[in-house]
Amino acid sequence: MTEPLLDVSDLDVRYGEAQALFNVSLDVAPGAVVAVLGPNGAGKSSLAGAICGRVRPAGGRIRLAGRDVTGWPAHRMSGQGLAYVPEERAIFPHLSVLENLRVRLRYAVARGERTAALERAFETFPILADRRRQQAGTLSGGEQQMLSLARVLAAPPRLLVADEMSLGLAPRLVDLVFDALTRARGEGVAVLLVEQYVERALEFADQAVILRRGRVVWHGAARDAASELVAGYLGESP
Amino acid sequence: MQGYVLAGLVLGSIYAISALGLVLTYSSSRVINFAHGATAYTVAVFFHWLNQVQGWSIPASAAISLLVFSPLLGLALWGILFRHLTHSPPDVRFLATVGLWVALPAGVQLAFPFSQGQILQPQGFATVPVAIYHLSALGVSVNANQVAVLIGGAVVVVGLSALLRATPVGLATRATVDSPRTAAISGINTTMVTAGSWMVGTALAGLAGILLAPILGLSNGEFTLLLVASFAAAVVGRLTSLPLTFLGAMAIGLIQGIAVDFLPSHGVLSTGFRPSVPFIVMLGCLLLYPGLRRERFEVDRRAGARAREVAPPPPLRGWRAAIGPLAVAVALFSVPLWLSTFWVGVVSQGAALAILFLTFTIVTGEGGMLSLCQATLAGIGALTTASLATHSPLFGWLVPNPFSSATGWPIGLAVLAGALVAVPIGLLVASLSLRLGDVYLALATLAFALLIEQLVFARPEFDNFGAGISLGRPIFLGINFNDTSTFFLLLAAIFCVLAVLTVNLRRATTGLVLASMRSSEQAAATIGVRIVRSKLLTFGVSSFIAGLGGALFAITIGRASPDSFEVLIGIVWLAIVASFGTRSVLAALIAGLLFAVVPQLFSEHLPTSWAMVPTLLFGLGAIRLAVNPRGSLFDIQHSVRVLRLRRARRSPTFEGQAPA
Amino acid sequence: MSDPLLHAHEIAVSFGGVGALAGVDLTVPARSIVGLVGPNGAGKTTLFGVLSGLLSPRSGRVELAGADVTRASPQRRARLGLARTFQRLELFDELTVRDHLVVARRIRERRDRSLLRDLVGLGRRPSPGEDEAVDALLDLLDLGKFANQPVPLVPLGTGRIVELARALATEPRVVLLDEPTSGLDVHETERVATALRAARADRGVAFVLVEHDVELVLQLCDDITVLDFGRVIAHGPPDEIRASADVQAAYLGTAPAQKTPR
Repeated sequence: MTEPLLDVSDLDVRYGEAQALFNVSLDVAPGAVVAVLGPNGAGKSSLAGAICGRVRPAGGRIRLAGRDVTGWPAHRMSGQGLAYVPEERAIFPHLSVLENLRVRLRYAVARGERTAALERAFETFPILADRRRQQAGTLSGGEQQMLSLARVLAAPPRLLVADEMSLGLAPRLVDLVFDALTRARGEGVAVLLVEQYVERALEFADQAVILRRGRVVWHGAARDAASELVAGYLGESP
Repeated sequence: MQGYVLAGLVLGSIYAISALGLVLTYSSSRVINFAHGATAYTVAVFFHWLNQVQGWSIPASAAISLLVFSPLLGLALWGILFRHLTHSPPDVRFLATVGLWVALPAGVQLAFPFSQGQILQPQGFATVPVAIYHLSALGVSVNANQVAVLIGGAVVVVGLSALLRATPVGLATRATVDSPRTAAISGINTTMVTAGSWMVGTALAGLAGILLAPILGLSNGEFTLLLVASFAAAVVGRLTSLPLTFLGAMAIGLIQGIAVDFLPSHGVLSTGFRPSVPFIVMLGCLLLYPGLRRERFEVDRRAGARAREVAPPPPLRGWRAAIGPLAVAVALFSVPLWLSTFWVGVVSQGAALAILFLTFTIVTGEGGMLSLCQATLAGIGALTTASLATHSPLFGWLVPNPFSSATGWPIGLAVLAGALVAVPIGLLVASLSLRLGDVYLALATLAFALLIEQLVFARPEFDNFGAGISLGRPIFLGINFNDTSTFFLLLAAIFCVLAVLTVNLRRATTGLVLASMRSSEQAAATIGVRIVRSKLLTFGVSSFIAGLGGALFAITIGRASPDSFEVLIGIVWLAIVASFGTRSVLAALIAGLLFAVVPQLFSEHLPTSWAMVPTLLFGLGAIRLAVNPRGSLFDIQHSVRVLRLRRARRSPTFEGQAPA
Repeated sequence: MSDPLLHAHEIAVSFGGVGALAGVDLTVPARSIVGLVGPNGAGKTTLFGVLSGLLSPRSGRVELAGADVTRASPQRRARLGLARTFQRLELFDELTVRDHLVVARRIRERRDRSLLRDLVGLGRRPSPGEDEAVDALLDLLDLGKFANQPVPLVPLGTGRIVELARALATEPRVVLLDEPTSGLDVHETERVATALRAARADRGVAFVLVEHDVELVLQLCDDITVLDFGRVIAHGPPDEIRASADVQAAYLGTAPAQKTPR
């Protein structure tokens, strides 16, 4: 058995009084896709935030490629080959599209390969190439999300943590997001997918974890998750 | 005309350099540095010391001051203070930087004793005698210091733009300023970026200071004017935009320079116009930029702020609660029994100041508002009282004296009138800036205070060659208050009455309403609190107390002099009150007594070069709020109560505190 | 049938293109609990903002007990009988639990205007009937044992109930509840639900409940409105909502093509 790329064990997260996660454990194998599902407020975003170093865990352990990274700040996690697309659009609204990409590439790619990576990003999302001089804040919601994703995929990470990427997007744009994710997966990127489009997520994922009120209530193969979910969202008797 | 344009460009360049530093530090850490002018002063004094006292050459002094000393100073201040303030509540952020504003110049004057006296010819970048160049083509003369300013301004603007636009560090900085969270997940070490921006920002302040010194003089007071003009420019740039800030600074400088050509050479306009430009620009921006109204200074309540909140142990109830205040009152009233007449006089000043300091207890402690013009309101109260009591003109207008007394109004009535006059003036400032939120209120009150200082306090009828207006003491109810002890008892009684009223207010519905507003304006509004009305009411009451306290202080020292109510003295007052706690009337009393007594003790028992030590301590006390937001008095009371609780917990009757 | 207490008519809000509302209606009859649910980003928070007065709609009307309050400030709505709670606790950290109710009640009685009375020390005395009313409310919501504690010491779930109590102390007609159980564990959620039921039975107040926990909404509410992409996609009693295919689709994400955002 191969060692998991990401290994989360007994993770607790609390904000002052409120505890958002209780003893959450999961792992992601290299190149695998794991979907994290659950009703809103179940702790999905707290899980993503803790893995990416944005939220300091109150307990438990996070290992990335065998290395204990618990409590590391976000910029160091980024240096370990982890990329994070948070729930809100991860862009710099007052910088140009090009600068947005450059900020990321400067830290993720060796000097000589940056131009190539930039070209790749524009190839994947041609719409951004047309707008490279435009201020990112003036892009439409969908384009901002493209940029958010392009920043990450221009330099393929080892692990991508994607939090509610299709939030508020039109279905056509959701397709685009999943196309990009599929391509990344083909290049060996492991993905931890927090998603509210459950069916899309489950089609795409190998494994699924269901959270409810901060605890893992179910985990298993993605194809078995759907029936479990209807009960979880809409009460016991659908 | 060309000469005035040149003067304006020079001023504008200095403002711009300083304001760009202010914006840089604010936008990377969300802390407005009220000590920015004090930082500029510090570097300018250091430069002067290297060059004049140590005899270093100008280039060497400049290089060490700007490239070594300033960045280290910025790094140190950031590491010790500003780093901790980013997530502090707004009042702590404000009061701690005000503390630094008080402490830094005092520390500098202790470390470099030559700066305690007046520095006749501050050293700039130009060698003395300063060369003067005649540009016949333009019809102006320009001296070497002005050339240095223009070159310095151009270098900073070009250099800063190049740094930010074209270098990786600049890109990382702009990214961090734009969105710290996204910057962090992109791999940027935002802590390093913030530290770097404080180093650069401090160096810019230092450069502005060195350039300003030979033009306006090297004194803490002149640097306050620089600070306010920089604030106004920064507000033009909404505290974030560097280009707009630059334009704002140049505009303020040019208006101030060119206006000299059009204004009468003497009178109110000639002295008052220049300081009023930053105030008008600031107010204009506050009213014109709708975006500023929405700007909230976010405290991340979710992550930590609530967890850090320490609940006070329950206060004593019943007769035990009266023991402490009674003991304090007895001690206060018995002062004439155990002190010499001289010291009773000193303590009287303290008691008068304690009355005045209750204005901070009301406006900041109860109302949660950040005002820097309370000393100015006190001065207005004092000068009005003095003018009425001595029957001297107010703004050239002789207020009728309907009373039989030959000298003027009876002094009791004059005091009351002085206090009442302060109210509408305070309300006017507050109503203009209240809706804009905490920090803008602080900025507007500061600009207003400086305006009054230049426009009103500097008038000859008030200033009277620095002597002020002398004032007698009252005789009423057949008691002659010319006796030092008797007058002290009167002050002590007034303080006690006001303290009781303040405590009454706090414990009544008004106090509950204000407490709810301080915690959450949003929630207070949803239970029906009319926020603006409540704040104006509080500001009005605090203005009244400021006016009253100012008048009584003037009577105590025998003269109403504008010197006693300068902005820079006001911030020391605020710092000392805050360091004991703005929520406590006892803190106001202690602060007042210490402010009067400690300097006197120092001057009697210690060498004069130590004179700045008390001010330094007062400032450091306010800086400590960053760690200990409620003031040291609260800390002491808290420890006492915790001890009491521990003792009670051991006894079997204790019913338990909070469930864990 | 009498007029609804709170009525939002054809509300439209737009900003930046995402999460806006288009032609949303919401009706809250007296003594009812109306649930407002939907996936993340569906517009629940926006509608809540319009009802509570933090946001102005681009078009549409909000009526409170027959009065048009579309542009009224939160303060004014409070005085007309609209109270609310916050998802992130907005408690008055310096006050005890009891004082939260006292201050809300006194503002209702306009005692915040009696400055002179307060100055001379009479302002500390409770109004006639105040102690009894406050105690009754504390008992009703089972807050008695926390009464004299400063709020930073109470657990999060209790804090939510304190917000509810503070809202009820203003003697409102309608209370808006913004995700009152988010961040709570199962036990605390049950306490909040119990408090809500008790408040409705005893006070005859109507509630609007915005909530992520659909199960809780199905249990508590008489009437549920489901939002998705800024539109009402379902509306009716709990059983209907539970059975609705549209609702399941919205939650499971088989987004049909016509649901493009505006």
